[in-house]
Amino acid sequence: MTHSPQEDGETRDTPAEVDAAFRTQRRVALTYFIVFLVVVAAFPFLSSTLDWWLESQLIGDLSPGFLTVAIGLYVVFAAIGIAAATLSSSVESQMLGAQGTHNTEVPGPDSSAGQR
Amino acid sequence: MTITAIITLIAVLVIVLGVSVITRPRHSSTVDFYLAGQRVGVATNSWAICGDYLSAASFLGVAAAVYVSGLDGAWYAVGFAAGFVPVLLLVAAPLRRYGEFSLADFLGRRLRSDAVRLHSVGVVQLVILCYLIPQSVGGGITWELLVGHGIFGLSPYSTGVLLSTAVIAVLVAAGGMRGTTWNQAVQFLLLFAALLWLAAMVSADGFRYGEAVESLSSQPLMNPEFIDGSWELTQEQNAVDPGQSAVFGEPGARYGQLGQVALVVTLGLGTAGLPHVMNRYFTAPTGKAARTTTVWVLVLIGIFYALAVMMGTAARDIIPGAVREHPWLEELTEDGVLRVPEHALPVLGRIYGEEAGLGLIAAAALIAAMSTVAGLLLASAATWGHDVYERHINPQATQRQAVWVGRASTLLAAGAAAGLAIALRPEAFTPAMPSLVATMVTWAFAIAGSALTPVVVLAIWWRRTTAAGALVGLITGSTVSIIMFLSASFIETSPLRELMAAPTLVAAPLAFLLTILVSLRTTAPDDVDADWVIMHGTAADRHAERLAQLTLRERRRRKEDRRAR
Repeated sequence: MTHSPQEDGETRDTPAEVDAAFRTQRRVALTYFIVFLVVVAAFPFLSSTLDWWLESQLIGDLSPGFLTVAIGLYVVFAAIGIAAATLSSSVESQMLGAQGTHNTEVPGPDSSAGQR
Repeated sequence: MTITAIITLIAVLVIVLGVSVITRPRHSSTVDFYLAGQRVGVATNSWAICGDYLSAASFLGVAAAVYVSGLDGAWYAVGFAAGFVPVLLLVAAPLRRYGEFSLADFLGRRLRSDAVRLHSVGVVQLVILCYLIPQSVGGGITWELLVGHGIFGLSPYSTGVLLSTAVIAVLVAAGGMRGTTWNQAVQFLLLFAALLWLAAMVSADGFRYGEAVESLSSQPLMNPEFIDGSWELTQEQNAVDPGQSAVFGEPGARYGQLGQVALVVTLGLGTAGLPHVMNRYFTAPTGKAARTTTVWVLVLIGIFYALAVMMGTAARDIIPGAVREHPWLEELTEDGVLRVPEHALPVLGRIYGEEAGLGLIAAAALIAAMSTVAGLLLASAATWGHDVYERHINPQATQRQAVWVGRASTLLAAGAAAGLAIALRPEAFTPAMPSLVATMVTWAFAIAGSALTPVVVLAIWWRRTTAAGALVGLITGSTVSIIMFLSASFIETSPLRELMAAPTLVAAPLAFLLTILVSLRTTAPDDVDADWVIMHGTAADRHAERLAQLTLRERRRRKEDRRAR
């Protein structure tokens, strides 16, 4: 089994800090997951309700429906991924490890400076 | 055997052997063998995950699905790509931060339960077997098409199954995760290059995407069928609008509305439970790196599938007009439509690059199957070697013993998959199961998404998850999904059959619900806060980043010292 530095006691986040960050991360993940579900579910819904969706021509003479499945959804997935990853990383850097950002010195091998 | 076949096989062997020799493991530790020392960078890991994920079913199968069913085939590709969104949002970073060897090990430690670990091993092995057999079948079919000869009295198909599985098993057993990572990364880049080359050739020849879809959609969709000893074109019926003919550019050639949703949910949730893909996340240096890796994967895989969909459309548009110029197409087509849709990319390769083009696409198909087999064998080795042997059979095992058990289990898993692939010859299943490869891959996604994903997601995001709840979730998800997809073969074409064939829409919510209900009635493990600090805290990430900075600074200092001297 690999031991994380937390277990080795080198650096620590407190349970309270982690819990606050976890709640924010959960909100971020759920929000983007709902956006993802809505985007994916919209395709069968629009196909069955809007004639325009499959019959008109948009970019490159492709219908909005075909364009969405052939290219559009991949762009949306990548956009969701980039936005969610950026926000999650930003939440983590703001809510966790604040002490580490003030102390830019790298701790020595037997130092406990990284402990929080 | 043609010169093209010989050159193709030599090229594939040189690539995989060369990469394996260059990246051979330097230490005999389990962290090195199973996790490549946990030092795989973002770019390399994203390429390797793509190589691991994009099997022959993705490379040849997506273009074939679009070729045969138009927009519904493109929807199939959307399901594969969608899977990495839940992985990114819900699994990647916390799973890596917990830092185990496999999904089974993660669940066992998080829920403090050997029973959960062992049940997870069982589910993981089922998923691996369902995924591994079709890859071996793919190796056999490619050999049959490319070489057409057997050795030692074996049929061409059996020879292909045995050779492709044996080569990759030996390489995985010798190279471990480090060699496999680099092999998968290089193999993905080659696969991607082959698809880009084909797209460039088709576009340079004047292919216009929109015009092609419009022209193909102006008439009913017809595909060849073998009826009473001869091939004839039959009109596809519209599953969305019964009584109407299916059209290339509209939904309905393959799935009804319920089928569309069921398929995307099955493929989308399944990815987060695929052991060979998820195990790759443990090789990332930090949780943040695992998350960034998934973003890269989403971008790369999106481009790959968009190109595959375009090539499926191009094949449907170009091949009928190419029959006159290329007489060899006559024996592969019926009125200009390919009898075997999986031939779409190889045929386009031959039209635009002659024998060399065919060789390139065949090599890419072989490589796609081999890189996925490598990931599956390694995941199998991790579960048997680490989760079963090290954890239960011989907890006092030395690192050397554990690595050797991992190697032996790689060879055993490969032997089992090859044996079953030969026993389950694709022809033996028709007409009950027209495509064994696609069917079994969907089974793997169904079991993973119905049993493993719900339990893994709850273990990461809900503190109250208990071992008893997880056990019920694992058993319910796997049992219900297996019963449903096996029953689907005996049901007439209908929305119910579509739901049964892609059962995660029913089985996963059931597994989620039962895991929650049983967890609420049992006691959660003590000290979950410590788990939360590891999974959702970033201390380990910061520590690893500081060490990396320190190493870089030291290297820079030494370099400057050398220059100063």
